[in-house]
Amino acid sequence: MARRNSPEADFDRRLLLAAGAGTAVFATLVGRLSQLQLIESDRYTKLAAENHVRLVLAPPERGQILDRFARPLASQRQAGRVSVIPERLEDAEATLRQIAEHIDLPETRVKRVLEEISASRIRRSGFVPVTVVQELSYEEFARLRVRAVEMEGVDVQMASTRSYPRGRDFAHILGYVARASADDLTRLAEGRAPEDLETFEELFRHPDMRVGRQGMERFAEDWLRGRPGRRRVVTNAHGRPMEELEQDPTNAAVAGKDLYITIDSELQRVAIDRFEGESGAAVVLDIASGDVLAMVSTPAFDPNAFVNGISGKDYAELRDNSMSPLYPRAHGGVYPPGSTFKMVVATAALEAGVIDTKTRFTCHGRMWFGGRNWHCHKKGGHGSVDLHNGIKLSCDVYFYQVARLAGVDKIAEVARKFGFGEDWVLGMTGARGGLVPDRAWKRKARNEEWFEGETLNFGIGQGQLGVTPVQLALMTARIAAEGKHFKPRLIGFGPDVPEDGELDMPLDAEIMKLMKSGMFGVTSEPGGTAYRSGDLGLGGPRLAGKTGTAQVRNISAAERVSGVRTGDAIARELRDHALFVAYAPTDNPRYAISVVVEHGEGGSRTAAPVARDILAAAIKMDSGRTPAYSKRAATKTPDTDGKPEGDPV
Amino acid sequence: MSREGFTGFTRGEARVSAARGVYFDRFGPFGKIARLPWSIILLIVGTGLVGTAMLFSVGWDPVSAAPSPDEANLWRDHITRLGVGFVLMIGLALLPLSVWSRFAFPAYAAVIILLVLVDFFGVMGGGAARWLKVGPIQIQPSEPAKLAVTMAVASFYQRMMPTNGQSPPLYVHGGALLLVLIPAALVFKQPNLSTALALTASGAMIIFFAGISMRYVLAAIALGLVYVPAIYTFVLEPYQRERVDTLIAGITGESTNGLGESYQIEQAKIAIGAGGFSGRGYLQGIQSQQEYVPEQHTDFILTIIAEEFGFIGAIALLSVFAFLFAWSFMVASKNRSWFGRLATVGATSTIAFFAIFNSGMVLGLLPVLGMPLPLISYGGTALITVMACFGLILSAHLHRDEKLSTRGLF
Repeated sequence: MARRNSPEADFDRRLLLAAGAGTAVFATLVGRLSQLQLIESDRYTKLAAENHVRLVLAPPERGQILDRFARPLASQRQAGRVSVIPERLEDAEATLRQIAEHIDLPETRVKRVLEEISASRIRRSGFVPVTVVQELSYEEFARLRVRAVEMEGVDVQMASTRSYPRGRDFAHILGYVARASADDLTRLAEGRAPEDLETFEELFRHPDMRVGRQGMERFAEDWLRGRPGRRRVVTNAHGRPMEELEQDPTNAAVAGKDLYITIDSELQRVAIDRFEGESGAAVVLDIASGDVLAMVSTPAFDPNAFVNGISGKDYAELRDNSMSPLYPRAHGGVYPPGSTFKMVVATAALEAGVIDTKTRFTCHGRMWFGGRNWHCHKKGGHGSVDLHNGIKLSCDVYFYQVARLAGVDKIAEVARKFGFGEDWVLGMTGARGGLVPDRAWKRKARNEEWFEGETLNFGIGQGQLGVTPVQLALMTARIAAEGKHFKPRLIGFGPDVPEDGELDMPLDAEIMKLMKSGMFGVTSEPGGTAYRSGDLGLGGPRLAGKTGTAQVRNISAAERVSGVRTGDAIARELRDHALFVAYAPTDNPRYAISVVVEHGEGGSRTAAPVARDILAAAIKMDSGRTPAYSKRAATKTPDTDGKPEGDPV
Repeated sequence: MSREGFTGFTRGEARVSAARGVYFDRFGPFGKIARLPWSIILLIVGTGLVGTAMLFSVGWDPVSAAPSPDEANLWRDHITRLGVGFVLMIGLALLPLSVWSRFAFPAYAAVIILLVLVDFFGVMGGGAARWLKVGPIQIQPSEPAKLAVTMAVASFYQRMMPTNGQSPPLYVHGGALLLVLIPAALVFKQPNLSTALALTASGAMIIFFAGISMRYVLAAIALGLVYVPAIYTFVLEPYQRERVDTLIAGITGESTNGLGESYQIEQAKIAIGAGGFSGRGYLQGIQSQQEYVPEQHTDFILTIIAEEFGFIGAIALLSVFAFLFAWSFMVASKNRSWFGRLATVGATSTIAFFAIFNSGMVLGLLPVLGMPLPLISYGGTALITVMACFGLILSAHLHRDEKLSTRGLF
């Protein structure tokens, strides 16, 4: 039967052969396992550990912005935030509906969150919380906090958010922060070492991180930002944090520095209220220190709306609003100064020696020059007018003559001495310099020669001339300080503003005294254009000032004849702007102010009372008293000057 | 004792066997169940439960110290399938070999039809058409094909084996080869390289054990070696070629850092190496618990065993497999029919092929192909197929004395 060579016997032999081969395979596998797990185990253990420990970025706390008396204007506030963790949600939509039962959650937001959730699932980053509502009201937070316990994957907790407790009051000065866009990153990355850039981008991708987009928030970005730290955490392959490790204190985040501005937020509040909804601007300066005590631009926007991303609809509303709330009038609004410019013209003529205090011109209500009539604001004319009365009565004919004698280039030169034509950045964005025209400018810009007639227009602050309320306040302060060196400041303690110069070109003190006397006449002598505004209502101190009217358009001959130039007869946006510049108290000036009431028509009627009330408030509240940061500012050393400690990244 | 001239049992063996049969016959229909090798079955099910435990570990979330809700289904599915597989395995084990043999060709024909249907109506998945959808049920015919081909080839030899005690003539081996290559080609076309390889490998093993001359075996091996470069260039898809390149780079020590194919192998090696001698402990693998190894619940499940239970655990698992295969060879050796012998080695080869190829792949010795670790990897069809293969082996053990007809094909 089964012989040695039978298939059955052969089968058993082949089984043994296969078993032998199997043993060899088994030995190979065991050998490989010993190589990996016994011989090279240490190396792989180390690799495994390195795989998991990651240095996770810890964003720094942004520095506060405080006012003169350390009242917070921009601060980090703990706000209730609700977010969902995509990987723990069974039905994202149902969960969001559940959340919406307890808080106000618009449908558009739900849609947006759902999109973000599905995107994070694709990226396998389902462990990164998706914010549903950034800021809950206290009631919403309390309500949702209790309910969220029963909702899987819903996280309700306090998080740090930028907040502007004074809302609109400081919108144009402080600007706002927002999530960094690609443009922001490019801007901030400029001049940085390439190896820093990655960290930098990582930092700004962090959900808590914001970047200054406008105003002082943008200007002082490096000062306020601080330095991010690193936390050592164990993460899994998808970057999800698994456990915290012991932290190295030198790796902790360094909070940004606080920034003090020179403004008295109470005075700011008074000034804004005084505008009563009119659009316009006001700037109050402390004459002794150069501190900006108030800087108002109305209407304004609420910067809090920008922190967590403003909706397209809301932004369009702000942008298209006929009152232009986004427009920073105080430092970026360019107006013809009108008669407030007459002190500059007079100073130029006096400096040039073409007139003196006794020089008189006769006003008949108009003046024939260059083939046309140049009108004075007083139809019947002022008669014989000297320097003092020229300012007090704001006689146009007087200043036509003075301007003609001084010449355009001399007026322009003196205007620049007063600070016109220069951007006063002061640490904000959107500052504009306006325009001081002269012969050279006209040749260059228009390729035309200067007409003498234009000099006449220049003499009453009209024409190409454009100034900002900040510049007008500087001019007034310089007059009130009788020509002394003057350096305006908005940042009390913070980075330096390299763009800004000082007003240190000499202005003759005697000439300035004449200007002051003229301005005193305006408000305190019978016949002055703002005679009734001189009394501050404080039972003593008075103010001295100068009215101005800025033409929004030319007055047609027909209107001049009919006399219809004001009131309801013409559309609001065609009415003249009312201007007023002033200082107080008259005997020992401390505060200078400029006020522009857009379409307010008459400087004495609308702008002067506003200026008077603000100055009175400043005196009453003693806004210029020693600021809270004075000690810090004194100890400011070159090391920390203008830069946060170490590189911001 | 010499077995010369005796094909059955020694008298002692016959006595023991008969006595056992008589003893268990007292339990009536349950006697057959009682005669099953329960220690072996325990080992099989135990190995499956190791898989369940490891899938629980894969789905563990170390942060919340609870099963992650996304992955809690892994171990639950596995233990359910293990239960279904167990019942199936016992049921199949009770079938006499004659039944297996009778259904071999109908099963084979059904599988071929399904494979052809897949090529035309298959549902695409992962870039290949492998699934047939019948209502709510999805069938992957390449899995039952493994068992059906083994049964068919074994049955073919049973019928064609010469009665004169000679080895079968060459044309019989040729026919067997054809039976293997037709389904293998259909599976390869899907494309499903790993299953095609498994089919060919277990078919080749059956032909080898059926007594094909060693000349042909050696010639086939030589031919294979010669054709390796040609297969590499013309047969393999670019992604498969890349895997081979990665493997060679890994073995020769070239840089395999970075992402892609080598990332998986690299992370697998780190997990295994980090396990060390005794492992990091259950649920404690730092590499595994943090999801650094892709496909850890399917093809790369050996890495979490090696990391959490170390060298000891990995060797223990491989030893269990080795023991099961050795025991299956004993079953083959003791079976009286060619069908029983060849079907057993075929089923064993199928399981062994996956076990060996999977370990080799995970350990970075073989290219990465979709090969599950038998009984342990997540995946229903593969688990059921493996349990069915064990059912066939158990049946061959239970019915080792059964005589089958050798009366030709029809």
